[in-house]
Amino acid sequence: MIMSEPVPIVDASMPAGMLEGDLVRRARKGDLDAYDELVKRYQQRIYATIYHMTSNHEDANDLAQDAFIKAYSALKSFKGGSTFYTWLYRIAVNKTINFLKQRKNKHHYSLNDLDFNTENNPDLVALISEKTPVREAGLTELQKKLNEALMKLSEPHRMVVVLHDVQGQSHEEIAEIMDCNIGTVRSRLFYARQQLQSYLSEYAKPA
Amino acid sequence: MNENEHNFEELKKLLKLKQHEVPPPGYFNNFSGQVVSRIRAGEAGGAQTYVERLQSEAPWVINLLRIFETRPGLIGGFATSLCLLLVLVVVFADRSDVASKNLLTVSDPSATMGSSVASMPVPSLVAASDSSGIVASTNPVTSLQPVATLFGQPASGSLFQPAGFAPASQ
Repeated sequence: MIMSEPVPIVDASMPAGMLEGDLVRRARKGDLDAYDELVKRYQQRIYATIYHMTSNHEDANDLAQDAFIKAYSALKSFKGGSTFYTWLYRIAVNKTINFLKQRKNKHHYSLNDLDFNTENNPDLVALISEKTPVREAGLTELQKKLNEALMKLSEPHRMVVVLHDVQGQSHEEIAEIMDCNIGTVRSRLFYARQQLQSYLSEYAKPA
Repeated sequence: MNENEHNFEELKKLLKLKQHEVPPPGYFNNFSGQVVSRIRAGEAGGAQTYVERLQSEAPWVINLLRIFETRPGLIGGFATSLCLLLVLVVVFADRSDVASKNLLTVSDPSATMGSSVASMPVPSLVAASDSSGIVASTNPVTSLQPVATLFGQPASGSLFQPAGFAPASQ
């Protein structure tokens, strides 16, 4: 007798087991349990994107919550032309860019701690190992320099780097989120990387 | 592009560090709850603020205000053009008022008709009407009102009497 792998039982009536479309439909009718589930699904990605854009945990917290609240109040205007995820991202991105424009160049850093796995990342360890010219620099110092370099970029350039190189989104997804064409995404990414490379020349030299 | 991609390898490794920046432990446990309770509080408190409502219903107003915030010089220009527009509206309103009055004076049917009727000889039939006072007429009946003139003075000699038609006596 061959034992098959256990199949997870998904209760479709419970928000956690529901498809995104069903959750959106229920949330649109005012079901806050369904919306709570949608928030849980995307909170980490939305928060992370905003955090990497602002380099400030408190700002990211406020903006992420505002983005979710705005999305809920605007759910009736969600036509379904894109996925809810992309639509939500667009709201968060616009909110963040508006916030940064209002704040202008006044950066208040409130950086999150690095997790325990950082020291196990061979690429990062190599950057601070004795073989590198900046061996005295610890990971925290590197983190600070990296954030400062990112904050020197313009908001659209920073957004493309964050979404692509940090969050791992595709060019197509970024184009949809930022409401521009793929060529613009590529050129912004190239320019932003060039800028970052010059700011971080002591750490990241071209191969 | 591949060459460029290759050139950015070190940078991409460096950017991986950002993925290790995490919020305090347990931060996401309460996040959705906070969002939902804020939504509930907003619904209980009578929904959106004025600004939020304006943003959803007329986003162009908010955009305009943002432009003004970034370029204060535009506020002056906008205010000046609004004042000019107001002055133009007032001037044109006055002019159109005068023009319409003139038009009224010229096209007043009682005035024109009155003058033409006044120059006409009064039909002798009126004089020949009998004492019964029953008068029938096919002529337009004009009032005894004085003809309005430009300065509101009644023109002398331009009073009208109703022209009557008395059936011819047998």
